[in-house]
Amino acid sequence: MIIHRVIRKVQRFQGWFGGGAALCIIAGLYIGLIGSPPDYYQGEVVRIMYVHVPLAHTSLFAYIVLSIGSMWYLWKRDPIVDNMCHAVAAIGAIFTTLALATGMIWGKPTWNTWWTWDARLTSYTIMLMILIGYLMLRTFIDDSEKEARYAAVLAILGLVDLPIIHFSVEWWRTLHQPQSISMRGVSISSGILIPLMCMSIGMSLLFSYMLMVRTQLLYLDRLLHAKKGRLMSQFHMSKTDP
Amino acid sequence: MTSLYLRWGGMLIVAIVLTGLTYSHYQQHLATLSPSQAKAQGLNQEVRVLGMVRGGTLEGNVEGGDATFALVEKDSTISVRYHGPPPDNLRELKTLVLIGKWNASDNIFEARDIGLVTNYGFVVGAYLIGLIPLAIFLFAMSRRVGLLYEEIKTSKLYQEE
Repeated sequence: MIIHRVIRKVQRFQGWFGGGAALCIIAGLYIGLIGSPPDYYQGEVVRIMYVHVPLAHTSLFAYIVLSIGSMWYLWKRDPIVDNMCHAVAAIGAIFTTLALATGMIWGKPTWNTWWTWDARLTSYTIMLMILIGYLMLRTFIDDSEKEARYAAVLAILGLVDLPIIHFSVEWWRTLHQPQSISMRGVSISSGILIPLMCMSIGMSLLFSYMLMVRTQLLYLDRLLHAKKGRLMSQFHMSKTDP
Repeated sequence: MTSLYLRWGGMLIVAIVLTGLTYSHYQQHLATLSPSQAKAQGLNQEVRVLGMVRGGTLEGNVEGGDATFALVEKDSTISVRYHGPPPDNLRELKTLVLIGKWNASDNIFEARDIGLVTNYGFVVGAYLIGLIPLAIFLFAMSRRVGLLYEEIKTSKLYQEE
C-alpha cells in the first residue's frame, strides 16, 4: 500500500523533524523575545503573538490532517491511517486548547477582557469541542471498527467549521484582528515576520514529530494489548483442554 | 531510555540559558525604576521611570513636545521636564514610562521620550502556558514509547509472524 510506504519513509526521518523543530523554536524564541522590536500600539505584549499564532495555525493544520485521514480511512479502511487519525485528534486538541489559552492572555491587555463571544473565538472553541467529542467517542465504543468509522464521520462533519474559522474575521465584524498574512499580501514588518515564521515552521515540525511519536505509542499499545490477549486466551485454552 | 533523558536534559539546559538571556536583556533594557528610586540613585545615566502624571500639574506645550509635570507613584513624587517628540499619550492621570536622566542640580527628571507601560506578566504567562504543556506532553509520550518497547522486549511478546 502506498500510504504504508510513505509512513515508513517519513518515520525514518523522525529525528530530523524533532531536531528541526527544536532549532526553529529556539531561534524563534530568541528573535521573538530579544531581537524583535516592540509594537507601536501594543508594546511588548505583541510578543505573545509568536506563541499564539503558530499554535493556532498548527491546530488548524492538525484538523485538516485529521479530516483527510478520516476520508482515507472510510475509503480504504486502513487501520494504520485510523491509528494516525486517533493520534492527530489528541495532539490537535492540545494545540487548540493552548492557542485558546494564550489568546485569552493576549486578549486581556489588548481588548481588556479574557473572553468574548466573538465569531473567531466561538468557531474556534467549537473546533475544540469537536476534537474532544472525537476523543470521547473513541473511548465509549467497544467495537474498534465501529469506533473508527463513527469517529471518521464525526471528523469529516466537523470540517464544516474550518472555513467558518478562517473567514469569520471577514464575514462578521469581530474584535479579533483580520489576517496579517493572506493571498492579498503581508501586512506586518519583517522584524515581526521573521520570528513568527520561525515559530510557525518550528510548531509545524513539532506537530509532525509528536504525531509520529503518538502514532507509534498507540500502535505499540495495541500490539501489546493484542499479544497479551492472545497469550491469555492460549493459557485459558490449555487449561480447559482435557 | 538513557538517550531520551540525555536529549531532554540538553533541551532543559538550552531552555534555562534562553530564559537567563531573556531575563538579563529585560533587566538591562526595559526594567523601570520608581520615581523615588530614580531620585535616590541620582546617576547621570539614562533610566526608565514608571509613574502616573499627577492631576493638575501638566503645563507647557504638550502637543509640541515641551512640558513639565509631576510624576507620582504611591507616596513618592518627582518633577519632570519633558522635551522630546510630540507625545501621543502624555495626559493627566496617565501611567507611563519616561526615558531620561536625573538632573541633580535642578532636582528635576529630564525626560527625552515616553515608552509604553509593559505588562510582562501577560507575556511570561502566555509563553509558559503555551510551551510547558507541549513539552510535558511530548516527554510523557516519548517516555511511554520507550517503556512499551522495553516491556515488549522483556516479556518476549514480540515474535515474527
